[in-house]
Amino acid sequence: MRRLISGLLAGLLVWPLLLPAEPAASGETGLKDNVQTLKKQVLELNRDLFMLEEDLLFPSNTQVSVFVSLDVGDFFQLDSVQVKIDGKEVADYLYTQRELDALVRGGVQRIHVGNLRTGEHELVAFFTGKGPHGRDYKRGATTKIKKGLGPKYVELKIVDQTKNYQPEFDIKEW
Amino acid sequence: MGRRSLLLLLTWLTCVTANSFAASDKPQQVLDLHYGEVLFHFYQKDYFTAITHLMVAQEEGLLQHHRHESELLLGGLQLSYGMLDAAESQFHRLLDSDTDSALHDRVWYYLTKINYQRGHYQKAYTDLQSIGKPRDKALRAELALLNANINMGLGNNAKAAEALKKVRAPEGWEEYLKINRGIALLRAGDIEAGRRVLDKLGKKRASTKELRALRDRANLGLGYELLRAGDPEKAREYLNRVRLQGPFVQAALLGAGWADAERGDYESALTPWMKLWQVAGHQPAAQEAHLALPYALAQMGDGKRAVYYYEQALGYYDAEQQQIEQAIEAANSGTLISLLSQADTGTSGGWLNDNPTLEGVPSGRYLVDLLSGNHFQEGLKDYRDLGYLATLLQQWLSNIELYYDMVDARRLAYQQRAPRIRERLEKQEARDLQSRWQRYEAQLDAAGQANDPLQLATGKEKQQWALLEKVRQKLTALPDEPRYNTMRAKADWLRGVLYWQMQSDYKIRLWEIRKQLAKLEPSLLDTVEKHQHIDSALESAKAGFDGYDARIEAMRARILALLPRIEAARGNKGQNLQHLALDELETRKRRLISYRSQARYALARSYDQLARTAKDQP
Repeated sequence: MRRLISGLLAGLLVWPLLLPAEPAASGETGLKDNVQTLKKQVLELNRDLFMLEEDLLFPSNTQVSVFVSLDVGDFFQLDSVQVKIDGKEVADYLYTQRELDALVRGGVQRIHVGNLRTGEHELVAFFTGKGPHGRDYKRGATTKIKKGLGPKYVELKIVDQTKNYQPEFDIKEW
Repeated sequence: MGRRSLLLLLTWLTCVTANSFAASDKPQQVLDLHYGEVLFHFYQKDYFTAITHLMVAQEEGLLQHHRHESELLLGGLQLSYGMLDAAESQFHRLLDSDTDSALHDRVWYYLTKINYQRGHYQKAYTDLQSIGKPRDKALRAELALLNANINMGLGNNAKAAEALKKVRAPEGWEEYLKINRGIALLRAGDIEAGRRVLDKLGKKRASTKELRALRDRANLGLGYELLRAGDPEKAREYLNRVRLQGPFVQAALLGAGWADAERGDYESALTPWMKLWQVAGHQPAAQEAHLALPYALAQMGDGKRAVYYYEQALGYYDAEQQQIEQAIEAANSGTLISLLSQADTGTSGGWLNDNPTLEGVPSGRYLVDLLSGNHFQEGLKDYRDLGYLATLLQQWLSNIELYYDMVDARRLAYQQRAPRIRERLEKQEARDLQSRWQRYEAQLDAAGQANDPLQLATGKEKQQWALLEKVRQKLTALPDEPRYNTMRAKADWLRGVLYWQMQSDYKIRLWEIRKQLAKLEPSLLDTVEKHQHIDSALESAKAGFDGYDARIEAMRARILALLPRIEAARGNKGQNLQHLALDELETRKRRLISYRSQARYALARSYDQLARTAKDQP
């Protein structure tokens, strides 16, 4: 019976921290290489397709991209951003926690890409969110953007105002 | 504790700890919007999209301020996306260029990690020596952990423990460093020192789910190690600390029972084993409990109950064996592959978080259990990645058709409208208007210099002036008589009045005409400019379709060439996973068969004992 215990224990001692897989078969390595090669080729193709699509749908002389970034303290949590260009709504975005974390860490979201003819246009943006004690915030900003010949990039940066520590838009044309 | 189990635990720890050396948790200062866009996807672990955006931005020269960082980030992203070879080449390229020491260290860190992931521990160790000592506490801790893991991979457990001893743990790192050090010490044979480290960790308050699981794991590992070392008393103490609500409860209950049994306290062993017996799950711990429980009863001399539970165990093993056989059959018939397909989420990368649904799958719990296992996850990740790539290319393929239509529509619109527009443009209407305007302006300048009011006379005034001139000529030819003299004087007076009128209005007229011309000028220039715009737009409109056909067709050919290769690779991967699953199921089946035969043997012995007892009784 003592042998029974040691036999069972021998099995036990290996499995509690989960058994690793059997050593990879030689075919597995080849397969892995193949998956890597495929990933590389699809990424290159995806890049070229992405650029083709952009050239076709948003040529550089009419392209306008609107980006959202965040530079606020811990007391403000962004919920949504809405963007209107020349009175027409072009984006209305609700953020997930994962996206917010990415924005807080310095990520920049391209919220809209579209076409505008050269000249002056009106951009109106709103954001909503929650401040200290769960207080609802809604702020807006209006700006005139001048579209020239090249692509136009507009950054909507939500920042804490130093004077009142409340978040506001800081709009920058790139 | 098994060497491979320890290694696996370490790998798991490396995966779950934050990779602060590679990417700081502090907000990044973004100087190029497109770099920020890459980070946005990277931070969400959407590596495929992040790499694509990075490659596009590099191609379009949009990362002027983050050139080196973006090269490093690309390598890091490739590494995270499982492209180890591409990442390695990328990092070596960075070493070739003129890099500063901080970047140099980060590159060597990545190269070390790649070799560690590949299991090339010696090479990883050599690479590690090229990394300078970082100032940051978190980076030093991360390096120490990597150093320890490599050393353990090389079998230098004492060195691994030493590497972790000197590190001061930053916030959130202490537990990881401790568990690694404890394991390294145990593996180095210093059981007492390892126990002390893990003991402290096992008693610590854990604020998060992850840390609570880590604490459970430390206690479980230590408990089993002490059990193996022949110290069941202490083993029981550590196994008791494992939470009943945690993921390791079954293993802990089984171990606790064995710790009691080792001490000869079979009655105490009944409590945890009975709990496991009641669970009646398909996990190895529950399976083993079906054998352990009657064994304890037999040791206590309770032959009748031992027989009862051995019989129950035989029934249970038969049922479980049947389930495993069904699972094997299901895996063989392709059910596993269809379960794998359920794991497709339409997103790139990442681990499988939710198990596939089991509706209508015979013995599905075994299959899903296998899929959730760590050794399946790597393969499953590749399988899902390939599925994502295939779906993505299918979407592009349908978009390609739209692009063709779009280009055709643009070409047709151009062919229909361009001739009419060209015809109007060729009339040079705007240019003619501008010339006329220029002529008027020249005339006005001349009139202004000549100071001749007649030049700005109205049509009527000009008529009147011509008539008076005619009258004057006629009157001049008439004889010098009072009647004619009166007429001549009247004509002169009329001419004088008319001239005076024109003279007095002259300045106002000059100003008025100048004003009118000036007013016309902007619209005229605008018209000329528009004319030029239309002219160049007509030329550039051709760029909206010219050359695209060949470009689109080339893309289509590339998609069509890649799709079958991806499908084939995915099929192979599925087969590979199926083989792994079958091997695992066969192992489990063999274990069950072994348990069953042990149960049968023990049952027979119990019957004999009962029979002997009955015979001995008067």
